[in-house]
Amino acid sequence: MKCLQIIKDILSKGSKPLSKRSSCKGTSVALGVRSRIIILLSLCITLCALLIGASNNSPVKFADGNLPDYIEFKIPAGWPKPPTNIFAKNKLSEQGFQLGKKLFYDPRLSKDGSISCANCHQQFAAFATYEHDFSHGHNDQHTSRNAPALFNLAWMTKYHWDGGINHIEVQPLSPITSPTEMAETLENVLIKLKSDTAYPKLFKAAFGTEEINSQRMLKALAQFTGSIVSSNSKYDKVLRGEASFTYAEENGYKFFKANCAGCHIEPLFTDNSFRNNGLEINTFLKDYGRMNITGNPKDSLKFKVPSLRNVALSFPYMHDGRYYSLGAAIEHYRKGIVTTQSTLDPLLANTFNITNAQKYELIYFLNTLTDTSITRNPRFAK
Amino acid sequence: MNKIFLLLTLYFLALLNTQSHSQKITTSNTGTVKITFINTVKGQPLALNTGSYTNPFGEAYTVSKFKYYISHVSMAGAKGDVNEVENYYLVDESKPETLHFSLTINAGNYNRLNFLLGVDSLHNVSGAQSGALDPLNDMFWTWNNGYIMAKLEGRSPQSKLVNNKLEFHIGGFMGENNVLKNITLHFPPGKFLNIQPGKTSEIMIEADIDTWWQQPNDIKIAEHAVCSSPGQLAKKIADNYSKMFSIKDVVN
Repeated sequence: MKCLQIIKDILSKGSKPLSKRSSCKGTSVALGVRSRIIILLSLCITLCALLIGASNNSPVKFADGNLPDYIEFKIPAGWPKPPTNIFAKNKLSEQGFQLGKKLFYDPRLSKDGSISCANCHQQFAAFATYEHDFSHGHNDQHTSRNAPALFNLAWMTKYHWDGGINHIEVQPLSPITSPTEMAETLENVLIKLKSDTAYPKLFKAAFGTEEINSQRMLKALAQFTGSIVSSNSKYDKVLRGEASFTYAEENGYKFFKANCAGCHIEPLFTDNSFRNNGLEINTFLKDYGRMNITGNPKDSLKFKVPSLRNVALSFPYMHDGRYYSLGAAIEHYRKGIVTTQSTLDPLLANTFNITNAQKYELIYFLNTLTDTSITRNPRFAK
Repeated sequence: MNKIFLLLTLYFLALLNTQSHSQKITTSNTGTVKITFINTVKGQPLALNTGSYTNPFGEAYTVSKFKYYISHVSMAGAKGDVNEVENYYLVDESKPETLHFSLTINAGNYNRLNFLLGVDSLHNVSGAQSGALDPLNDMFWTWNNGYIMAKLEGRSPQSKLVNNKLEFHIGGFMGENNVLKNITLHFPPGKFLNIQPGKTSEIMIEADIDTWWQQPNDIKIAEHAVCSSPGQLAKKIADNYSKMFSIKDVVN
């Protein structure tokens, strides 16, 4: 804690200048004893004020005196802090998580009761749709983009290939109401949940009363999906010193760091930015990606950089699932990049020289990013 | 030394201020103001579905939905004293109970009303909301997140859309696509709203749909029968409708 350091600085003998800490104000003042006491006193009062403020934000005790079992969202060691705290106004609890899980696996969220979130976000495929370029929605319709894998969502501020979703809590509104996905209305979903015998009790356990509303449903879903953290692959274990790469994996990792890490930044293996990676446009879909959201021609053909974690399971690849193997995806970067598109990412302007050996070593490395601690974890299973 | 003391004093005053700021108005020195919205077309009360109207370009139309967000309502007086209430209201012509709301305001003399027409940018990116901002109200874009600030739907023979639909969903809160409008409505000259403790005063506001079509931008249904995403057209329509409000009456 910084404030403790400051107190230590102040108390330390010899009238030590505060220059280190006060440099932001551009002043360096030698402090006398009196001023040190004043500052110390002020820090104490500040601390008290902050504590009072914090207690105001603490969750209200439920009417029946019970509280859910709150869970701390753990950031893996060495990882960056999420850009925003998605649980700041949605305090993570075991009951909220369990309610969210039940909702995630409940097909009644769809119009005909046949499609749950998990239909397109399958646990064994790292919550992507296994082996499908486009997922199947209501009445056997196809979606128009490849279902993204779901993990490490807490580090994102924008969701979907085009970033059209600006908060994790409101994401489910899109698939629930999309005519080609779950094709249901929010109103009907709530009617179905309210008429169920189990849900009112689960909502009470998570939120204090049996009231079922859209905000609670969406917050519970966010507690489940936001809790899926992939940080336990072989790669992670190697970094923690618990495992070691094979010779081929090691070479693949070196190649990755030199050629791929510009966009797929460790440890998340994405920078969550939107880029045009030079794919030939699909003339049927005519999908311009990020530009559909911003209306800015500079965003034409830009899509979200996907994480490479669990990439061996989340095939097929790209926003339209055009490549069915890692080899095919690497071939795109080797010789398939369309260089005539004006919004092509500058990092891809020069073709990559990739030898066959490097290609297979890279694949060996990418396979170390598979994390069975999410794909086979009963905690995330139905 | 003295400088440090002064800075610290100021700091504590600021700290105290933030603490007290979050407290609700609980003193007895407050009155109530009831704000009523009367939706019209050329001054005539709007009749959903049954009323037949003509825009300045001679294009006939009917209205089936008319909704808009009002937020950050404040009253201001000659001395510049402002009372702001952050609440969000969705005025929906089809729900009479949404056409008026009441605010608690410090006693005093006021000569104008300010509000935001729409939902501030922060609440467009704050996740699942409730009340007026509940996505159940059909005013939230699910594929390109953000609130529809104002919605006008109906039919017109001039519309080239299926079933002659007329569909204006006006939204956008970011950068150059921002359609948020700060509205200030001055009370008629010489008229003040005198808020007194324990009393209820009233403000009647007229919102005229006829303003949507013209000034500064000509919007012809034959050319634009639909607007359902942020962008230039939405901005043009919002520039027009930002003038739809006028004070009809102020009752002390």
